[in-house]
Amino acid sequence: MFSSLDSVKPALGRLIARLRQVYPYASVLAVEDAARRWSVSRAGVNIDASGLRGGTGFVVRVFDGTGCGEYSFNRFDESMTEDIAARLAEGLKAQSAALAGFSPLPTPVPADEPAVLRKSTGFQSDPRDLGDEAIINRLRALREKALALDGRILDVQLGMNYRCCRKLFLSENRDLDQSLMWTTCALMVLCSRGQELKITYEPFSVLGGAEVLDAVEDRIPEAVKKAVELLDSQPITPGEYDCVCDSDVTGMIVHEAFGHGVEMDMFVKDRALGRSYIDKYVASELVTMHDGSAVQQAATMFFDDEGTLTGDTVIIDKGVLKTGMCDALSAARLGVKPTGNGRRESYERKAYARMTNTYFDAGSHTKEEMIASIDYGFLLEQPSSGMEDPKNWGIQCMVSVAREIKDGRLTGKIFSPIVLTGYVPDLLKSVSMMGREQTLSGSGFCGKGYKEWLKVSDGGPCMKARIRLG
Amino acid sequence: MIERIKSALRDCGISLWRITDSTVESAELFFVKKQLDTRRIKDVRKFQAAVFRDVEADGQTLRGFTTVTLLESMDDARLREELNGAYYAAQFAANPFYALPDPVQAPVKEKTGQLCQAPLAESAAQIAQALFAADTREDAFLNSAEIFVTRSRTRILSSEGTDAAYTDAKAEGEFVVQCQEPEDVEIHNTYSYDTLDTAALTKKVAEALTFVRDRSRAQRILKSGQYDVVLSAEAAATVLSYYQDRAAAQMIYPKYSTWQVGEQVQGEEISGAKLDLDLCATQPYSEEGIPMEDLPLLRAGELKAIHGNNRFCRYLDIKPTGLYQKLRCLNSGVPFEELKAGPCLWAVAFSDFQMDSMSGHFGGEIRLAYLIEDGRAIPVTGGSINGSLLESQGSLRFCEERYEAAHYTGPYGVRIPNVNVAGVE
Repeated sequence: MFSSLDSVKPALGRLIARLRQVYPYASVLAVEDAARRWSVSRAGVNIDASGLRGGTGFVVRVFDGTGCGEYSFNRFDESMTEDIAARLAEGLKAQSAALAGFSPLPTPVPADEPAVLRKSTGFQSDPRDLGDEAIINRLRALREKALALDGRILDVQLGMNYRCCRKLFLSENRDLDQSLMWTTCALMVLCSRGQELKITYEPFSVLGGAEVLDAVEDRIPEAVKKAVELLDSQPITPGEYDCVCDSDVTGMIVHEAFGHGVEMDMFVKDRALGRSYIDKYVASELVTMHDGSAVQQAATMFFDDEGTLTGDTVIIDKGVLKTGMCDALSAARLGVKPTGNGRRESYERKAYARMTNTYFDAGSHTKEEMIASIDYGFLLEQPSSGMEDPKNWGIQCMVSVAREIKDGRLTGKIFSPIVLTGYVPDLLKSVSMMGREQTLSGSGFCGKGYKEWLKVSDGGPCMKARIRLG
Repeated sequence: MIERIKSALRDCGISLWRITDSTVESAELFFVKKQLDTRRIKDVRKFQAAVFRDVEADGQTLRGFTTVTLLESMDDARLREELNGAYYAAQFAANPFYALPDPVQAPVKEKTGQLCQAPLAESAAQIAQALFAADTREDAFLNSAEIFVTRSRTRILSSEGTDAAYTDAKAEGEFVVQCQEPEDVEIHNTYSYDTLDTAALTKKVAEALTFVRDRSRAQRILKSGQYDVVLSAEAAATVLSYYQDRAAAQMIYPKYSTWQVGEQVQGEEISGAKLDLDLCATQPYSEEGIPMEDLPLLRAGELKAIHGNNRFCRYLDIKPTGLYQKLRCLNSGVPFEELKAGPCLWAVAFSDFQMDSMSGHFGGEIRLAYLIEDGRAIPVTGGSINGSLLESQGSLRFCEERYEAAHYTGPYGVRIPNVNVAGVE
């Protein structure tokens, strides 16, 4: 698998050498990609092998007199070296000529320190070996099991996606090679209340293969029960409440409310309030936040799409903001070291500062202790969407389930849908209990603004905080 | 390449197929303030092959398909390997039988206009000039901007005899406006045009700069309660997308939507506007090679058509229409100034305004709204809207001014009564 990159690697090396004759910096990211998605629902069975926001191709980056320029393409062999170099030069020259009057953003040429690496992530069950028939049969059986649990279910949608890719990053001094595989599942249970559809969503993800299916069966009863409960849900009375966030909701707050705000290309643009809070308290002392590849989850990698080696970045240490997440260009502009967060949706897109696996450290309490500590409030479950506001640290996160807590007990009453709003530091400083068990989930894709979708994971433990709900 | 794929299909014994040959070129510019951050160019060609396979089960013929991406860099053996893998998978994706789209043979439909014909770099530069043309003051300015000018060529062939092709072009991107005093704030905006409409873009930037100035002085005084909410531009378009989604064959076939042609989808009690909506063809053929044309969707609130891809339309025994990407709202009404007169909340900027077509709920966190009462418009920020279109759709009112985007044309504003708003007090 993925041997075609071996055959073009020498030619890519010669392309870099050719470009270095003209430019002070040149690199190429080469990607070979395989993906498949399987799904079963009332609409039928579907198998799609056309791709999952990735694709096989190349992106060259150079620095010329104007600054950073890139060329994305997917046709390449030895004979095309001169052609690629010429197209890149002509394209950048045409853009520079058309843009007379606009000055470049001063950017030092990124460091190109020597590094050689060849690594792969592991798996227990390769979906390609398991095969389409076995995977579809497994999904069908799980769906039938869910449907049989309650006659009020309109549909159960169950899907599994996997992506396996090999990435080469080559520059004058770097020769990096990694192969990665992640697999995710999504279980959705739909019930209808007239024209209104109520949906529960259970995510599953692994840095690995079809072993992700092993976790699905155990969570079917809870997903079905929740969907049926939502039929009796009602709108919440807006207000500020004591809340217990389950680990998925904690993950959404980590990612959407805070994580995007410390992506350091936002520092370059003066779009992030976080820049002025380095070494200051932004959260309760119970909060320690990480991003990186110290955990085995869907966004784990050995180097990023700009050839920076990855690691473990401590973003918040016991409530104090220590650093952000940085791509190579932003690092050069800010005079700091990149953290391995320069990521592209695919070889066809620009690299931005992006999160990988982002999470809060665990604490010392149980979820039951948190619930018991609340006179009146809510247990928040099932995040559905969120949006960043790095400039003003406003929160917009939506959850589908708010379970009422009264006198330290769940009452059985459910409110939905719920919008979380407020000011991020207020929420994080209000964190008063952290759960013992930490889980991460990476079943979805994250956008930058409204585009640039790529695989991330987020999570943490349950946590207790004061949150404005509407 | 097409002949190589056809040959590989024959070698694999695949008799039912569709090939989509797409080439995309782009010029992309990224700005920080007025300085050029990064320039990008792209030239990518891909071939997607959908292979169909009929299987017998319980005395019935079922049809499955799988789609795979093929590249010119693949040798013939790799092409056969990919196609064989897809053909093998297709038997396990078998669904009730349906006929493939009727064949279409037509000369290339070339889109015309400056965006299609001028060099990409020049079009991108014109977009840049248009973006920054309104950025003339120091109190509010463009913080950053992204420009994507894309030109594509698509050819669709099928085993049934389809051979159709067309060209397309788009200018799209995003920009962030910032105002630092009295409070340092920003508003994120997106744009998308299928013509080089530089005047519309400059106007959009100018409006966004006005909004961000107002956000900078906006107060956090919004109280929780029910408001008449006025939504404008993208938010108005987003709310109306509910009707496009609910009328889709892929929603109706699995019974997620119960809509039927002839049904009054706004309910029986309509005190406001009865909706007149069209779906607009933005490309001559769907991705399955179905010729596309404008389609009346709602007239006076009555569903006139169900739309969708080939399979789900065949299942519902209706003519396949292809998947639409643009909605036209024909409704009009009073001048916008009149629409937002009287006590109401005109919400102009959200962190992420969403319409959930499954539940009928719409809403988002408010970045800027105007609390309008007693003839005054007070900029407010914070809080959130959480409305139900199912409850409000009989009482919609529109303005006469129009808003144009690549995915929507219709009234600039819609007024929705009695929407739940969570305030900040």
